[in-house]
Amino acid sequence: MTRLHPFTLLTIAGALPALAWILPAPAGAAATAAVALVLTLTPGASPGLTGIGSSPGWRPGLVVLRAALLTAAPFWVFLLLLHDVPTTIAIGLRITTMVASFVWLVAALEPARLVEAMVAAGWSASVAYLFAATLTAVPMLKARAQRIAEAQRCRGLSPRGGIASRLRALRALALPLVLSALHEVDERALALETRGLRPGIRRTTLAPPHDPVVERAARWVLLLACPAALVWRLL
Amino acid sequence: MSIRLLALIPVAAAISLALSAAVDAVALPLFLDTTGTILATALAGPAVGIATGVVTSAVNTLRNPTFWPFVVVQVIVALYAWGAARAGLFRSFRTAVPVGLALGVIAAVTSTPISYLVFGCTTTGGIALTTALGKALGLPPLGACFFGSFVSDFGDKAVTFALVTSVLHALPRRTAARFPWALRAIGVA
Repeated sequence: MTRLHPFTLLTIAGALPALAWILPAPAGAAATAAVALVLTLTPGASPGLTGIGSSPGWRPGLVVLRAALLTAAPFWVFLLLLHDVPTTIAIGLRITTMVASFVWLVAALEPARLVEAMVAAGWSASVAYLFAATLTAVPMLKARAQRIAEAQRCRGLSPRGGIASRLRALRALALPLVLSALHEVDERALALETRGLRPGIRRTTLAPPHDPVVERAARWVLLLACPAALVWRLL
Repeated sequence: MSIRLLALIPVAAAISLALSAAVDAVALPLFLDTTGTILATALAGPAVGIATGVVTSAVNTLRNPTFWPFVVVQVIVALYAWGAARAGLFRSFRTAVPVGLALGVIAAVTSTPISYLVFGCTTTGGIALTTALGKALGLPPLGACFFGSFVSDFGDKAVTFALVTSVLHALPRRTAARFPWALRAIGVA
């Protein structure tokens, strides 16, 4: 599955939830949920299926499936809390399709390949940069937030007490994080200028992902299936 | 769009997503997931703010797919913050907090139909529980859904506006002057 073109992976992950909401419930949503859950077991999304990894047996192959089920489970609980059983099943299957599709997508799609595919398809390098830079900046800033929290605790900051004291503590944690991130903007801009990245500019990729005709046709079929299903439902 | 504004977008989006670590540390029922959108708008205008909101939603969707349909809320937040920045309402807490409270109402009104129609009001645990509370109080399903969204958004957006105001005032003037809207947002220019 990881060998599929990134646009194909995105199309599958987008079309399944769309069809889950368009097709009549619960049968339609049950079918799409089943497909999405099976996808989480495919090689690539679950590397352990091929015997790679430290855990023995078939368990590593279920890592992505387990992540999808654990993410979807709270929705089922809250749906049951708020709705009757038929509504819970209908909405729950749709949400399960959405969750499983995206969990599978995250496991199967490498951000670097997506950027290569976007640039190869003629997208602006700036758009590709936005997503790639955000994905790399989030864990970096989260780690910095942890360090700031530890440093402020060493200085006597207490995250306990009433709402007012907690809000003061939040300000003491958030302000250094945001200000330090904003001070990096100039450095990043300089680095981008040095590398010749300007808004609207197109680049040539060194290794664009292979995009066979069959996959392109399959993407169109999937994309057209969604409006076709919608028309069928409305008529 | 200049390179500096382009570089601001992923930083602002990452701020929105990383602030959850700070919120977890003080155990407050807040999201602060529109902080980057409001900050980017106040610094650089609506186009940068909307782009930040869309990128934030897209990246957040990889963590929790239910965030994607709410991208429209990020766009509305950016447009609203632009109006606040044009009027210089980030000049003090006294002006920023009421504007944030009003945004909480607007965000709740915007997100309620999405939450109700797409997810049956079960987007996050906190909202689902307050929706259940609204239902227990005898509200109709859509009213209970609005109640859940309102309770979570009302305080969250006020705190977000206060935080962005703090950041804008803490920025050195030289740094703030490099962004086209920053000084106007705090009522200096």
